[in-house]
Amino acid sequence: MVELVPSLLRQELDRLAADGQRIDGRGQFDGREVHLEVDCLYNAEGSAKVVWGDTIIYAGVKFEIRTPWPDRPTQGSLMCGAELRPVAHRKYEPGPPSPESIELGRVVDRGIRESGCIDMEKLCIVPGEKVWGVMIDIHVLSDGGNIFDAAGLAAIAALRTAVVPAERFDVGEDHTLLVNGTPIMASFKRAGGRFVYDPSEEEELGGDERIHITLGDEGHLHSLQKGLKGVFTPSEFAEILAVAEQKCSELREMVAEKEGN
Amino acid sequence: MSKGQVGAELRLVTPGMVVGPSSGKRAGSGMIAENNEFIATRVGWLNEQNNVVSVQPINSAYMPRSGDLIIGFVAEVRNNLWFFDVNGPFQALLPMSLAPWKVEFGSTRQHLGIGDAALARIQEVDETHNMVLTMKGVGLRRLNEGAVVSIPVNLVDTLRGDNNTTLSRIRDVTDCRIIVGDNGRVWIHGDAENMHVARQLIQTLNEEGHKKTFESAVQALENERGEH
Amino acid sequence: MGGYGDVKLLRDDGKRLDGRAIDEMRPVTIEAGVLPAADGSAMVTHGLNVAVAAVYGPMEAHPRKIQRQDRAVIDVRYNMAPFSTGDRIRPGFNRRSREISKVTAESLESVVLVERYPRSKIRVEIEILAAEAGTRCAGITAASVALADAGIPMRDMIVGVASGKIEDTVVLDLDKAEDNYGQADLPVGILPNTGEIAFLQMDGDLSIEEYNLAMEYNHKAAKEIHEIMVDALKRRYEGGEN
Repeated sequence: MVELVPSLLRQELDRLAADGQRIDGRGQFDGREVHLEVDCLYNAEGSAKVVWGDTIIYAGVKFEIRTPWPDRPTQGSLMCGAELRPVAHRKYEPGPPSPESIELGRVVDRGIRESGCIDMEKLCIVPGEKVWGVMIDIHVLSDGGNIFDAAGLAAIAALRTAVVPAERFDVGEDHTLLVNGTPIMASFKRAGGRFVYDPSEEEELGGDERIHITLGDEGHLHSLQKGLKGVFTPSEFAEILAVAEQKCSELREMVAEKEGN
Repeated sequence: MSKGQVGAELRLVTPGMVVGPSSGKRAGSGMIAENNEFIATRVGWLNEQNNVVSVQPINSAYMPRSGDLIIGFVAEVRNNLWFFDVNGPFQALLPMSLAPWKVEFGSTRQHLGIGDAALARIQEVDETHNMVLTMKGVGLRRLNEGAVVSIPVNLVDTLRGDNNTTLSRIRDVTDCRIIVGDNGRVWIHGDAENMHVARQLIQTLNEEGHKKTFESAVQALENERGEH
Repeated sequence: MGGYGDVKLLRDDGKRLDGRAIDEMRPVTIEAGVLPAADGSAMVTHGLNVAVAAVYGPMEAHPRKIQRQDRAVIDVRYNMAPFSTGDRIRPGFNRRSREISKVTAESLESVVLVERYPRSKIRVEIEILAAEAGTRCAGITAASVALADAGIPMRDMIVGVASGKIEDTVVLDLDKAEDNYGQADLPVGILPNTGEIAFLQMDGDLSIEEYNLAMEYNHKAAKEIHEIMVDALKRRYEGGEN
């Protein structure tokens, strides 16, 4: 369903931007409160729940044993998918996965995969015969804006706390999944002509293009995505990249803290 | 099991809850009578007035009634009419003839385009929810400035207060123009800082939803701003 | 029902493998209003099951051909999250979830005052996040609380509850092992005020006497769960007007 964009909303976003303000009173690069919970679902080998403002997302990790691809006999596989089901918002309709669902899953997938935090060789059980397939499923329960960052956080937190169910498959003892790194996403949205961090539902409705940046532990870029209509300048990107570095390291610490518990 | 009782104190009831014998009384909204008993059909506060037992719902969707003052957004424009989103299950129709301007056939878009907001009244609703709006009437107009904020429909009365007393106080303390639509949409207009204050206050109402808490938030704001 | 009698499900002391008595249900917790984007919502944990329900509407029924001129249609989707079971479930509708969605919608239509909203649709989304036998019942309970939370008028709520048979013994509220290796499962949806039944399924093998006993257990459990449902709604709203 295409949502109606009130003219007054766009007008107000412009006016607030001119004063350096936002509808909910945040500064341009302030994020909302984030709560992260891990190991919260029975049956998932790794799980996380993220409450990010009014957005609520679960991620669950499952393992399967499969035959490796012939050209990579010693490598396992990783797959990350997302579902934007109609539970999450009035605007989502039932039916086959929407382009938005697929984009969300693939952007999160790239950030994790390309960071190299999962060593595919380590997922090998018997070369040429048996490897682990790791699957992360992202389930959006409430879309209150910025589902990308919340989904990325839930996915990496679930992955980092996952236990490989080797006993159930009769291939050794259960052990924690080896994850070398914590790629984190930071998203920006053009609202009222300038970019803001962590867009709210209203800013998403009344704004323009969005940019998603995934950074690894060393501050390297692992995935970038520009979505929706609009263009941006190199200097705008430089500005939000600097903000992303700070936001990502804060969230990375939050994940580390939860793992310690 | 707790049962709601028809009495003076406020009682929260839930759907299916037997609240007492129905003899000699009538079932109001949120209440049905079955086997000589009143049964609540909604979550809300039990209410008895003039022998009518009803539930004052805590949450409810907007169900348009004729005469309602509403804030709508244009969702669709045709050559001779507009369709408005009025926060109800169905769109409402504004014919060219009930617009406040002299509109030529085919020039509707020049007056109101998609996404534009307007203050209107519901002229007519039939039993299958077909709705006609009118913009002929005092104060009914296109809303060119300001912002529209949403509140749950059941909080409209709380925001207004008895005879709009609470609303007047909020207007004074925030120095904003405020119009509360029966459809749970509130228009506010003022300078940036005042609008932010008004928005925060309405947000308090949304989050708390309680009359007493809201009243004290208004009071606190009056105390704080009175000192300046 | 697996129906394999060689798996031991009752201990020598007459209790079940998890220590429950034969007429004891698993712990149930309910929270109302958990999803900010929805018009009404609820989360139910029943044993290790986790069910979340969201309600949207009433809204105009689309497409037109599903509209009813004299009442609202209730559009239910019961869905199991990919990570909710032992082996991952491929996303998307399957025959099982389609059937459960259909009968759940029909049972909810029996309590919601659908004639109040002609041409409308009320969307009920049930998401199972963790499954340990009994998800359809947890889903019905969650949907009822979510509908009440959304302010949708109903003549009663529906409580989802199940009994079954293991080792020739009727027991209340089958867990995973009992569901896999037991002899019968009888999930029902009960209207707590009248004791009427809005949802009924059964598979396995039950004598009439066993059915009656299983139903007796179901009615007893429905009363307990109903109190938890009412309590969830009260916790969300009470204190409001005081």
